[in-house]
Amino acid sequence: MSERLLLVDDEEDIRRFLGMFLADLGYEVHAAENGAQALEMFNAVNPSIVLTDIKMPVMDGLELLKQIKAKAPETEVVMISGHGDMDLAIGCLQYDAADFVTKPINHDILDAALKRVEEKIILRRELKQYTQNLEKLVQEKSRRVIELERQLAAGEMVETMCQAISGLSEDFGDKAGYFNEMPCFVAVHNRSLTVVATNQLYKERLGDMVGHHSWEVYVGQAIRGFDGPVWKTFETGKGQRSRETMLCKNGRELPVMVHTSPIGERDGKVELVLELAVDVSEIKRLQEELRVTQQKYMDLFEATPCYIAVRDRDYRIVANNTLFKQDFGEGVGKLCHEVFRHRDTPCPDCPVDATFEDGTAHTLEAVVTCRDGRSKNVLTFSAPIRNAQGEIVEVMALSTDITQIRELQDHLTSLGLMLGSISHGVKGMLTALEGGVYRLESGIKRQDMTRIADAGDTIKSLVGRVRNLVLNVLYYAKSRDMAGDPVDVSHLAQNVAQVVEPKAAREKIAFTCDLPPDLGMADLDTANLSAALVNILENAIDACTADTAKDAHAISFKASADADAVTFDIADNGMGMSQETREKAFTLFFSSKGLKGTGLGLFIANDVVKKHGGRIDLTSEAGEGTQFHIVVPRRKAEATGS
Amino acid sequence: MPKTILIVDDDPNIREYLETLLTDNGYETIVAENGEKALEVLAAHTPDLITLDIEMPDKTGPWFNRALQRGKTYANIPIIVITGHTGLKYVIPNAVGSLSKPFEQKELLDLVRETIGS
Repeated sequence: MSERLLLVDDEEDIRRFLGMFLADLGYEVHAAENGAQALEMFNAVNPSIVLTDIKMPVMDGLELLKQIKAKAPETEVVMISGHGDMDLAIGCLQYDAADFVTKPINHDILDAALKRVEEKIILRRELKQYTQNLEKLVQEKSRRVIELERQLAAGEMVETMCQAISGLSEDFGDKAGYFNEMPCFVAVHNRSLTVVATNQLYKERLGDMVGHHSWEVYVGQAIRGFDGPVWKTFETGKGQRSRETMLCKNGRELPVMVHTSPIGERDGKVELVLELAVDVSEIKRLQEELRVTQQKYMDLFEATPCYIAVRDRDYRIVANNTLFKQDFGEGVGKLCHEVFRHRDTPCPDCPVDATFEDGTAHTLEAVVTCRDGRSKNVLTFSAPIRNAQGEIVEVMALSTDITQIRELQDHLTSLGLMLGSISHGVKGMLTALEGGVYRLESGIKRQDMTRIADAGDTIKSLVGRVRNLVLNVLYYAKSRDMAGDPVDVSHLAQNVAQVVEPKAAREKIAFTCDLPPDLGMADLDTANLSAALVNILENAIDACTADTAKDAHAISFKASADADAVTFDIADNGMGMSQETREKAFTLFFSSKGLKGTGLGLFIANDVVKKHGGRIDLTSEAGEGTQFHIVVPRRKAEATGS
Repeated sequence: MPKTILIVDDDPNIREYLETLLTDNGYETIVAENGEKALEVLAAHTPDLITLDIEMPDKTGPWFNRALQRGKTYANIPIIVITGHTGLKYVIPNAVGSLSKPFEQKELLDLVRETIGS
């Protein structure tokens, strides 16, 4: 680029020739004949170099220099000094002239001076440009810093918001922490649809998308053109909600629920958009898991082979399982003690109360009554149910039906008792039998007929006792149903009387029978009922022989019947029973007869009558005698198991 | 003069057996069906030996023995326990012997002979 040069001299020749020389050097030369003219031209030409003579009419070079420097200080002014005004030229330097040349002008010197000036100009220009560049750079950097700070602030905002939301969810007692666990991707987008910040989970699952386009994370949107929720939010200025599919870092597609909302408005335009994406598949999975878990608990609750009831502090049942409902009826809303044990007041031994009290599990074995009247032995475990604050709000009672176990245990205990009782009885009978045999043998040796006969009776009676014992044991060992064939009642009673009569006679007891021949038919088990009646009658005989207070003894055996039932009455005037004996008469292995009794006879008689659906009433007075009143229904259908 | 033995047992068949067996062997016998009756017998007789059952209705063998031991008169009469229970010897600690039912005749007779002679 050629520099513009303003040449100022009052001599026309100099203007002409010097002008030509300068043009040859490559300058765009403009000429003026004095300072005043030069100043006029200065504004239009705007030269970077002014070459001026000092001595000129109208306005001299010094004045021109001053004026130019005042106007445009960067203009380089070179002075041309004539012969004899060297001092003046040097003085010009004080006014910031760039250089001076002397007349007559040496072209080489002028050329060198101009070159220096030109270098100076270029240097200044470069400096200026450099300064300007620097300022521009600073501006650019500052803008970038501001941008980064804004992104940082957005990121912090996202994090803070996440914390606030999870904090809020904790405050609401979301104990399971589903929200904290919930995969929620948070991102902030700017107007140019660029991601400027994301939360940690976003980065972990979807990748570091900061700086990427807003649509890149959405499956399919790069193809169909971005019309996603972020874009819509910028367009409409309103929050959006839609189902989308996002692409994970690992390439998996993720169904999400996206919520967007505008943040930061400038000049009526949305500046940033907050995007919240919730992994719906995860929620679906959790929901399914929750459903399965609840179902499992429900199944467990319903299918457990135990009675389960949940009770509050007011003794109200709040939940019960199927088995409970089956045996005790729907209990929800009802009072526990009413349903379970048919009581008006809470049970004093309630394990649930104890659990409410101390928060630990308790157990209780109790007898409860089903709605059909059956009694059950149950073992109840109680366990506390606490709310989120750890307070016990309800207690669960889990009751196991141990009726069968208890029955079995009773049976086993009975067997143990029986073994002891029977072996004791058998020992006594064996001893007595040996005695009979001894007396028989010694009687034969001595030809003592009385002793032989006596011994025979003894042995016979003992064999009878052994036989009864064996039959009773067999009866007890096998639990059997009563046969229910129609039987002639009169016939049965007469047979019983025939069995007992000789025994009574041997003991010299008056035995009277009142057995009408027309008692009709009844559904009875002949063998078992006969044995039961014989048993009671033999007891009567024993009661008479054991009674030494009276001289004469009598036993009466009476049978009667009406349309529905058959009745047998057996009375003796033997030793009678004390109250305790009376109360325990039908108890297994209870005997008042010492060695003679096994404690089976009346127990089995009672059992047989009960299995026929009948009952035995017993009245007795110690020293006075005993009366048995036995009632058996005619029809087996009325019978219930014992 | 023959020695007298008091037989205490609630089973009439066993009483009869012991009575016959001991009488046949030269002893005199008295019988009682329980402890109370046995005490009544002692009011009129002083036996040389007592055979005592343990389990009897009303007044048992141990009850009778305690009654004997409380007084001086009968405390020294030797007792032979005859019982269906095993391992119950300790309930009559002062007994000279114990037989369990069913017992051997020879065993009883030997024990009686050792204690009071024939």
